[in-house]
Amino acid sequence: MQSIINSIVANRNLIIYLILSFISFNSLYINSSVHYNGIGKTATYLSGKSSFFSSSINSYFKLKDENQKLIDENLKLKEIELEYKNQIVEYKSLESNSIINGSVIFNSINKSKNIIVIDKGTNGGVNEEMGVISSKGIVGIIKSVTENYASIISVLNTDLKVNAILKNSSTIGSITWDGLNSKILKLNDIPLSSSIKIGDTIVTGGMSFYFPKGIPIGTISNYDNSSLEGYYEIDVSAFNDFSSLSNLYILERNDNDEIKILLND
Amino acid sequence: MIRELLRNIFFYTIILVFQLFVFNQINLLGYITPFLYLIIFIHYKTSYNKTILIFLGFITGVIIDLSVQTYGCHTFATITICYFRGGIEKYSFGVNSNLPSAMISGTQLINRLTFYGIIVVFHSIIYYSLVFFNIELFWTIVLNIIINSIITFIIIWLISQLISNK
Repeated sequence: MQSIINSIVANRNLIIYLILSFISFNSLYINSSVHYNGIGKTATYLSGKSSFFSSSINSYFKLKDENQKLIDENLKLKEIELEYKNQIVEYKSLESNSIINGSVIFNSINKSKNIIVIDKGTNGGVNEEMGVISSKGIVGIIKSVTENYASIISVLNTDLKVNAILKNSSTIGSITWDGLNSKILKLNDIPLSSSIKIGDTIVTGGMSFYFPKGIPIGTISNYDNSSLEGYYEIDVSAFNDFSSLSNLYILERNDNDEIKILLND
Repeated sequence: MIRELLRNIFFYTIILVFQLFVFNQINLLGYITPFLYLIIFIHYKTSYNKTILIFLGFITGVIIDLSVQTYGCHTFATITICYFRGGIEKYSFGVNSNLPSAMISGTQLINRLTFYGIIVVFHSIIYYSLVFFNIELFWTIVLNIIINSIITFIIIWLISQLISNK
């Protein structure tokens, strides 16, 4: 307390000077319109600047929440999109019922049998033999599941064969991978009698337990009709960039078992 | 002691009356108004109390402001030079500034010129910046500062010589 009083006494001239300056400025502000406008303008400028600065900092800290919101929203939209497509083709028997969101924690593209691991397992509702897609197109099929993780047989795996159709003509074929280029898939079983051209879109055919009809796969980048077997050899450039997968959607379908029982009978 | 006080009050009143009734009426070429009253703060003795000097500056400023309706420009300019007078003294007179009543006699001419000059120019800069208060009138402000500083300086210098000769 003593030191506060001492410092006030020591700086009394400065304090008196500041108080008297304030009084004279106040008198200017009240009485003179020129100064009133000038000081008012400065105050508005400063308060505008400072509130802009603080709001931009706040929005930066909210980015993470914002991101999560967008992912959730995306998930809902994807669900609606699939539902809508299924309604159009009236393919209700193989309707996909819900979607689970998962993130990639391991991924490879340089082997002949590539596997992806995601951070969702049985606890998250994931089971074996579910189809996996990304926002751009198909990714693969769940191979095995633990409590918290699941492994996916990627489309870039020479063991996997996915039913596919030409979007325009509905000619049925199947997608495989030859183990060479991670951007190019092979479309087989298209007879030479059907007409194709470069740029045609390939989508899933729906004749499988894993994927509903109409999920995008890629576009035709090259084809060879000189085969003696009566089928085209078609190169498909995939929509997905398999080297940069992050968020995946797992399609949950609860009528697979019923169909399997029928098939086994 | 009493005599000195009475003499100072008399000096102060005379200067203020001259400022109010003579120099404030002068408006040479439309914008020259000499600030004679600065002589009060120049001749305030260094041995006197500095806090009283600031209050004296405030009262003088208010009186001049009321008479010419500048609402606080003179007040702010005068209390500012009163507050910084100690620093200006040190800068102008160097080591001599601690000597009591070293002001008028016994100092170098160049020191006194510097002291008078700084106070007059400093006061003009603050006063005209506040009066115009508009960056677009920058050159008008500079012109006013230069011309008024010169005229005020000459008048204050002449009157100071007159007083010290007596």
